[in-house]
Formats: sequence, C-alpha cells, structure tokens
Amino acid sequence: MTPSTPLLQVRDLRVDVGERTVLRSVHLDVAAGSLVVLMGANGSGKSTLGMALAGHPAYRVASGQALLGGTDLLGLSAHERARQGLFVSFQAPPDVPGVKNNLFIRTALNAQRQAQGQAPQDAFDFLADARESAKRLGLPESLLGRPVNEGFSGGERKRNELLQLALLRPRLALLDEIDSGLDVDGVRAVLALVQHLRAQGTAFIVVSHYLQLIEQLQPDAVLRLDQGCIAQSGGLELAREIARSGFGPKATAPSTAPTAAAHTVEA
Amino acid sequence: MDTALADRLAARHHLHSQGWIARRSEHFHHLPPPALEAWIGPEPDAPACEAPALSGAGWLLQPVGPAATAGVDARWLDALDPAQRNALFADLPGPGDGEAAPFAWAHRALCRQGLRLRIHTPPGKATADCDTVWLHLHHQPRDTVEAPLLVLALEPGVRCVLIETHDRAPSACGHALVQNLHTHIHLAEGAQLQHLRLALPQAQDRMAQHVHARLAQGARYQQALVATGAAYHLQRTVVQLQGANAQARTAALLLPAGQVLEQQVHTRLDAAHTAAHTEVLALAADHERVVANAHSRIAPGAHEAQVRQRLSGVALNGQPRMVLRPHLEILHDQVQATHGATWGRLPEDALFYALQRGLDEAQARALLTEGMARAVLERAFNDDPGAQALAQWLDSGVLAQALARQLQAEVPHAA
Repeated sequence: MTPSTPLLQVRDLRVDVGERTVLRSVHLDVAAGSLVVLMGANGSGKSTLGMALAGHPAYRVASGQALLGGTDLLGLSAHERARQGLFVSFQAPPDVPGVKNNLFIRTALNAQRQAQGQAPQDAFDFLADARESAKRLGLPESLLGRPVNEGFSGGERKRNELLQLALLRPRLALLDEIDSGLDVDGVRAVLALVQHLRAQGTAFIVVSHYLQLIEQLQPDAVLRLDQGCIAQSGGLELAREIARSGFGPKATAPSTAPTAAAHTVEA
Repeated sequence: MDTALADRLAARHHLHSQGWIARRSEHFHHLPPPALEAWIGPEPDAPACEAPALSGAGWLLQPVGPAATAGVDARWLDALDPAQRNALFADLPGPGDGEAAPFAWAHRALCRQGLRLRIHTPPGKATADCDTVWLHLHHQPRDTVEAPLLVLALEPGVRCVLIETHDRAPSACGHALVQNLHTHIHLAEGAQLQHLRLALPQAQDRMAQHVHARLAQGARYQQALVATGAAYHLQRTVVQLQGANAQARTAALLLPAGQVLEQQVHTRLDAAHTAAHTEVLALAADHERVVANAHSRIAPGAHEAQVRQRLSGVALNGQPRMVLRPHLEILHDQVQATHGATWGRLPEDALFYALQRGLDEAQARALLTEGMARAVLERAFNDDPGAQALAQWLDSGVLAQALARQLQAEVPHAA
C-alpha cells in the first residue's frame, strides 16, 4: 500500500439480507483523515453498508471486495475487522446486561491493543482517560459504572457510542445517524470529536439526513445511495440539493457497471 | 442404648418403613435423587470405612471486615452425644411428611455434628447502634457420607451478611462425597439476613442442600446462590413468611458444568403485606440437565401479598435440557403475582456489538455470560450493605471460578 492508496477501497460490493439484495454494486474509496457523508432514502442500503463491512452475519456479501489499509476485510471475522481499525456505531446500540461500561470498553480496547502488539492499558489509566472523554462528551461519569446502555436514554446511548469511538481511536469510523437523539450539546460534541480524530488520521463515513450537521462536518464528499448503488457524488451542494428537493421518486436502478467507478475521496 | 442412638435408629426405621422418594414423585421426577442407601451411610454400629478420613473440619467460622458490634454466639455440637443432640435440634421443626421429608429423615439418621449460631444485640446496647455483622462460614466435609446441620437465629432488628461456601479439593481417600446438608434460619422481628451461598461440588459428588427459613414480622431474607452441577446436586430453599411485612428475595445462578443440577425454591406467604421474589438464571450447554422450580403459596388472609417469579434459561451451545417450572398457588383475592419462564440463547445483538468492538467470540461470550449472571445476583441484593457485600464477593473471583467450571465443561464448538 502506497501513501496515496485510499484507506478504504470498496469494489462492486453486493450484499444480500435474507432473500433481498440490498446493496447491488457499491464502489467507494475513502482516504485516511477524510470524511464522506452518505445520504439516501430509507431502505437505500446505508446501514447495510456499515453492517456488511462490520461482518454482521445477517448481511451476506455475495460479491465484491473491501480493503482496509490493503487488508481484505471480507476475509476476516467481525472482531478481526474491528482490530484492523474499523468502528461502526450502531443506530440503536443494544443493552449488554450486567457488563459495566468501563469494563466493556477496557476489554475491547485491550483486545485491540493486544492484537497490535501493544501492552494492555491498566485499569487506572483507562479510567482516567474514560472520565476525561466522558466529561468532554457530556456523558455523566456515573454511566461508566453502569451496565452498557442499560437504562440509558437515546441521547446517552449515542454519547456512549462516541465515548467508545474516542477511546478506541479507530482508523475508519462509520457513524450511522449518530446525531439522532442528540441535543445541541451532543451534536457539538460529535463535531469536536470528529474534528479531533480526523486530525489524527481517522477517516469517517457519516450517515445523516441533517444538513446543518453535514455542513458543520465539512465533508470531503457527499454520496447519495439509491437502490443499492451510489447514484450521485458531489460536495456540500449535493447535500443542500437533497435537503431542498428530497430524494425524489425512485428511479430505475442505476447502472451497476464499473463505469460508475470508485467514488474517490481524498483528505 | 442412649437417646441419640435411639433417635438415629428411629429415623432409619421410619425411612425403611415409609420408603424413599418415588422415582415418579411430581416434585423430583425431572431429576430423581439417588436411592436411600446413598444418603444414610453404614449402620450406626457398623465398622468404619477403612479408607483414610477426609481432612476437613466441618464448619469453619470467621468474621469478615470490621469487628462485629453485635453479639455472635457459636456452638459446635456433637449430635452423637445425647445432651448436645438435644441442644442442636431444639426448637427445630420435625422432618414432617412433605415431599422432601425423606431427606430430613435421612439427615436425622446420619447427622453427627452441627453448628448453632445466634446473633444478638449485646446487653446494654440498642439494636440501632449495632453495625451489620459480617460472617464467613466455610464447610469442609468430615466424612464421605455426611449430614451436617447449621442453625442460625437472628434476634430482633439484627442485621447480618453471611457468606457460606462449599468448595473443596477432591477427597484424599478418593471417595466422592455424599452430603445431605440442612440449614435452619430464624429471623426475628425486623431482622435482616443477606445470605451469599456458593456450592461447588466435585463432579462425582452427590449433594443435597436444604435451607429452611422462617421470617417474623418485618424481617428480610435475601439469598444469592451460585451452584455448579455434580453427579447429583439439589439446592432446596423453603422460606416461610410468617409475619406481616416480611420480605424474601432469592436469586440463583445455576451452572450444571457437565453434570446435573436442580433448584427448588418454595415461598409461603402466610401473612399480610409479605413479598417474595424468586429469580433463577440457568446457563447450560451440550447435553447438560438443569431443573429450576419456583413454587409460591399465598395463604388465605395474606392481604396485599406480592409474589414474583422469573426463571430464565440460556443455552450456551448444543441442546441442554432445561426445565423451568414456575408455580403459583393463590388462596387470597387481594394480591399481586407474576411469573414467567424464558429460554433462549445469548442475546445475538449484544454478542455482535461486542465482536464489533474487537472482542473475540470466546471473550464476548464470557463477558456476556458473566454480565447476565451478575445482573441476576445483584437484583437479589438491591441495597447496602448487601449490594456492597455481593460486589466484593463476586469480585473476589467466586463468580469467575464458577463460570470457568461451566465453560471448561463445554465441548468446544466452531465459532
């Protein structure tokens, strides 16, 4: 992999969920430190892309390729993909009953560190980092000692996703509607964290419907997903156009031919 | 013949004439106990076993944490001595004729020693000035077939946290252990007992542990049990809420660990405004067998009594046989009662969530399993100092040790 090689390279990705083909042919390049906004009508396949890249067993990759830092993601199990530096935030983060938040995140962090040949972080250092990050994100410190997401409000769950993002520091993060359920302070926290991590080289794919957030994120590209393919790519003007006119009636399926090319995004 | 020997022989005679628990007994048919001969050992005047004796010392009692400000009277009594036997069994209910009575008769026939504990407010002190008494009671078997006894009485208003452990190295003489333990608890008015129990027998042991608790007005009993399987393992708790406003909560983590395990919890709500919550989590794999019974009876006149039963089984892999039996018997109109039994796998969404954060399959399953176990046990102890005691106990490696037995017993499966 050369310095100019994109961090994420997706080629002709087709994903089936049950009997249905959700992603027909997705081509996408994302460079380190860049940010792509992914838009699309409900059911267009935005979340499917994240889950398929993450290796969820219900999302079956029928064909195509996805490389992260030159490594074939699709040949890895879900935890190995995470250890390669892929973080996917969940639209509806699940409860993990009885497992304390700080233990969960520290176990995950140390599993990743160990896989990278680094020494595990001890509990005291981790807790100091976690408290600091939680404070910055507006997450009450008491939630660190509570079971993961159990009894959390919608906004707290999203902030908890951000906390994990901040502590795990992935190479690529896919944030699926991270803004939904967040108040204005929460949205500010998203912006600050994304900016901070981008500066350190983390690339982002952000799924969002809200123009205000998209504008503040200063994306390198905006992509529109339609019927399982990337139908349009552009800059902020595309997001503004979608915000103004909507996604419109469903057209016939876009071409899946490689002429659609990879939608290359450079930082 | 002395009265102690006569008592033991009479119990044997009763068993031989009335018979042991029938294999088709409604209460035991999912996991029938071994035959009578296993539980009563040799005749009282038969020659002793020639194998070396077990090295255990029966009940070992030690205080935990700060010095107790309440009084703790402990008496180790020899059930083969007539006078001590009288003192040991004084004021305990007789074996009766209930479904588990044969175990009680077998206990009378074999019991050789016991411990009586009384926790009270010292003279000249107010109950309110006494801190919670923390005790650790560890039992080491003294015989390969034994019937130990524990009698615990808390006087009015006294609070106690009792950690009771039963785990041992394989016996020196190579015999598997057969144990028929009976524990009698009496909580006087306003007394509170938080009872943490750990029962980890060896795989070939046969174990039946019975807890009988009687609660007076306003008393509270909370029990958290962690138990692993054996060739036969029965955990039976009977709680009688005799006084108004008495409350009982029991929570159990059942881990058959390659063997079999049964728990029976009977709560009897005899007075107004009593409450009993029973929760069980059974984690099993492969072809293990685990049975959980919850039976609650609300007596006539138990106005505004509350019962909740929640039995859960999680198949970690394979096709274990899990029998979850909630049962309510309601003989009064103005009461609240809920019960439920659920059976499933580890939650897949939480499992994938953990994998996506970088935990491998084994780590994720272990973390989720321990989390579920903790959550169930913590619900039994929802206040201080019980919650603090439980957290310390679980963090001391107890839970990890029990879960390790369960996970090690599983046949490795492809992820």
